[in-house]
Amino acid sequence: MEHTQNKSSAFSQGVVIFVYLAVLTALEFAIAVAFDAVPLLVVVAIAKAALVAYYYMHIYKLNQEDADLDHHSYSYKTNTNRFGLWLFLLSDTFVFAGLMVMRLNLLGLSRPGQLNQYLGLGVTAVLLVSSFFMNRGEIAMSFGDTKKFMNNTLITFILGLGFLIGVVFVEWRLAAAEGLTAGFGSPATGPTGAVFYMMTGMHAFHVLTGLIFLGIVWNNARKGVYTAEKHWGVEASTVYWHFVDLVWIFFYPALYLIGTAVK
Amino acid sequence: MKNIKPFWRGILFLVVFGAVGYGLGLGLDFLMVKSLRFSGPVPSVFALLFAFTAFFLGVFGFRGITRGLVWQVLGTLVGGLLVAGIRAIMGLPAFGDFFFTEPSWVFGALTGAISFLFGVGVLDDWMKWTRGIDTPDEHEEHYHGWEKYFAVSLDHKVIGVQYTVTALLLISIGGLFALIFRSELAESQLQFLTTNLNLFSQNGPQLYNSLMSLHGMIMIVSILLGTAGFINYVVPLLLGAQDMAFPRLNAFSYWVSVPAAVLLLMSLFLGGFDTGWTGYPPLSARAPVGMQMFFLGVFVAGWSSILGSLNVLVTVVRMRAKGMTAWRLPILVWAAVATGLIALTATQLIGLSFQLVMFQRLFGMGFFDPAKGGNPVLFQHLFWFYSHPAVYVFVLPGLGVISELLPVFVRKPLFGYKWIAMSSLGIALVGFVVWAHHMFTSGMNEYLRIPFMYSTLLVAIPTGVKFFSWVATMWKGKISTPTPMLFVLGGIVVFLMGGLSGPPNAIVSTDLQLHDTYFIVGHFHDTIFGGFVFPFFAAIYYWFPKATGRRMNETLGKIHFWLMTPAFFVMTFGMMYVGLLGMRRRIVDYDPALHLDATHFVVTIAAFLIALSVLIFFFNFFNSIKNGEKAEGNVWNSRSPEWQVPSPMPVHNYEKPLEVVGEPYGYGSGDDGYIKFVEPAVNAHK
Ligand code: HEM
Ligand SMILES: [Cu+2]
Repeated sequence: MEHTQNKSSAFSQGVVIFVYLAVLTALEFAIAVAFDAVPLLVVVAIAKAALVAYYYMHIYKLNQEDADLDHHSYSYKTNTNRFGLWLFLLSDTFVFAGLMVMRLNLLGLSRPGQLNQYLGLGVTAVLLVSSFFMNRGEIAMSFGDTKKFMNNTLITFILGLGFLIGVVFVEWRLAAAEGLTAGFGSPATGPTGAVFYMMTGMHAFHVLTGLIFLGIVWNNARKGVYTAEKHWGVEASTVYWHFVDLVWIFFYPALYLIGTAVK
Repeated sequence: MKNIKPFWRGILFLVVFGAVGYGLGLGLDFLMVKSLRFSGPVPSVFALLFAFTAFFLGVFGFRGITRGLVWQVLGTLVGGLLVAGIRAIMGLPAFGDFFFTEPSWVFGALTGAISFLFGVGVLDDWMKWTRGIDTPDEHEEHYHGWEKYFAVSLDHKVIGVQYTVTALLLISIGGLFALIFRSELAESQLQFLTTNLNLFSQNGPQLYNSLMSLHGMIMIVSILLGTAGFINYVVPLLLGAQDMAFPRLNAFSYWVSVPAAVLLLMSLFLGGFDTGWTGYPPLSARAPVGMQMFFLGVFVAGWSSILGSLNVLVTVVRMRAKGMTAWRLPILVWAAVATGLIALTATQLIGLSFQLVMFQRLFGMGFFDPAKGGNPVLFQHLFWFYSHPAVYVFVLPGLGVISELLPVFVRKPLFGYKWIAMSSLGIALVGFVVWAHHMFTSGMNEYLRIPFMYSTLLVAIPTGVKFFSWVATMWKGKISTPTPMLFVLGGIVVFLMGGLSGPPNAIVSTDLQLHDTYFIVGHFHDTIFGGFVFPFFAAIYYWFPKATGRRMNETLGKIHFWLMTPAFFVMTFGMMYVGLLGMRRRIVDYDPALHLDATHFVVTIAAFLIALSVLIFFFNFFNSIKNGEKAEGNVWNSRSPEWQVPSPMPVHNYEKPLEVVGEPYGYGSGDDGYIKFVEPAVNAHK
């Protein structure tokens, strides 16, 4: 069996982790506003990422013994798929790491001062809450509760869409209005705009693919494709969604919190 | 028409439709610029796309690859027109010098590549999955005989051959480019690539730059495909697996490389580009549209590499036969793992660096533009973070082939098996921290030079381990030298030359003199021929009977080897020699007062001899498929599992599961061999 816990303890674990993450996010914000201590922020981000990777993305499942050694069994194939997915995420991490290197190289310890830190906190919170519901959805599915899975996924989807709109249609507009431009032939504002739009854009692209993924899985759940034993599609989209959140755990402080604001 | 052989029908179609495409392009271009530009980019690019597609139409009909290519052409046009329309609405010029404007070409190229994938049908199963429809695991083949190589197949052996043949095709194109610009260098002054020439909107020296740059990148892509070819074919067989872990992803990885190759070729016709394969800004930020096609082509090919290596890693971890523990893995598998780790991760960085330049050009984002506060050196860091490890992606599989074949032909165990296995991983890991040795003269922070110098010299240790092991393996062995073994031995010696010419580049004080000279060109041709080309040929000669049930002609094989090897030494030593005397790399001409003409002439002759030897190989390859001597047994008397069953390999590989019972390279030990086949248990699946 995939899960050793019973249903209610699984759900409550999700709540506890969510509370931890929320507290850390608030703490992070407070640190940034009050002290401007970059190492501390890095520590908090790593702690958040570890929580997400372990409890929401179940990275430990990579280490799981095969219940069935037949290479054609669903459980063996699921373990194989899981390994493949994580390798893909590892590869993708290098893109984001590259963007982070670019950001540190071009902007150093300054950040775009045109951004509204409260708006940043807002979209971050939306994404975090979406991860919480995603986790609930997956747990529901692992107990065979399709209906509950669909409801939670729908909430996740709406929140994810909210994040996307918040970044691309609200934040980008406000930032542009503040004079943060990407270039487009307009007079240069330094590399700040280019870095900001590139990082948020690449992340938004991943959010978009995650949303498509969720839509597909939701639709398949509607058709009754998944069961408590066989729901690799659900697990994959869940892990991917949390990964997108995990990237934001680093991008958010990198753009909104660390260093001094420069216009 | 019926009884014309498919190949000649393809050629006929190529000529006819090429002419049609040329005429169409000429007409469209005329509408734009109101003059007939016979050697202009637009007719050429249309001729290329039409001719290329029509060839496959003639050979194979409207299915498989042909459908993919037609869709790519249409997708490119639709995408380009869409952007043209949007631009028209926005009040921007809708069409440009190359028919489309740059944004149109970029978007069109992207939609074209995606359309290809839909057209060829490699996404069909996944599309079904998204609708909740399951597809069977046991794939049936729709095509038989040679036809299955022209359409999507999920069989790793078919995909391996597809990769290999595509790689050979690209090698010939890249080689042809090299012969053209090498001829120009045979003598100082400009002979035929003159400033009066005007082809594809480029004059002679510009064309030189484009050909030289494309030679580099096309060869790199062909290396990636070539290594993927033998890895795909052989690794699942060595593991005793039925297929790769993800057969559909495997097919996808192969098929994305086809539109990528088309994009790379398109770049030549769309104004070309003059940066060399490295694409450094600021030059790449202002080169013609061809630059963007190049970037996109590499980007798409990069996905082939990333997903292919993901598949290999998962396959090795999850699909091994019983008893195949880490220390009993064939050494080629270890090499594939080390390669896979690099390609999986680092490739993203070349993709990102190229993508950033693309965006800089399209949107004016000033990442690498000092005028906007950007940093061109940042590009070089991102680029080399991939492109140095990439050189190990090129050579590690080949070095794996050397270690794999050597014991077979000396009838002795591989010396220091564990050390060799670990040296591949060691090279891969150290390879991640040496990239800035390409940047000693770039103006990066000076204190970085020293650590990068030492880390680079560190690579020599695991590389040396391999040499010691090879020599010790051969020591007192019963050496026989059929063609594959010749190429193995040649590879070792050539790679040694490459390795020895490395440290002078790694030591800062000497590199300041050597950087950007022809010495570097000699260095990396030695490493890449020794680490890839020779082992690649060895692998083809060696596994050819496995794939076809026939062997390649030995005499022709030996002529190939004995022509190529001396010519190759002459070529690279000549390159290093002129480099030391002050010849710069990537330049169309040199000063007669340098007195380099004679050496350059010899280098050019040597290059043509290499090309001749490869032609002989091609003849041998295609001729032996039909007429080669039959070889259905264990031709090389190997212990490896794939040779314990008859050739050609059955569709689903091994009838019975296999189990590892001995050492992989226990030649001459008198044990019971490496593997044995087990009778399947009664209640096993199927
Ligand atoms: C594994 C086999 C090797 C391959 C495939 C290889 C390939 C290459 C290539 C392609 C370049 C030229 C890049 C460019 O376009 O600028 C290059 C340059 C260089 N190689 Fe290697 N190389 C190998 C081994 C080594 C070794 C063993 C060393 C040193 C110990 C080394 C040190 C260098 C250095 C320092 C440069 C930069 C030279 C310069 O541009 O000034 N290489 N190599
Ligand atoms: Cu290097």
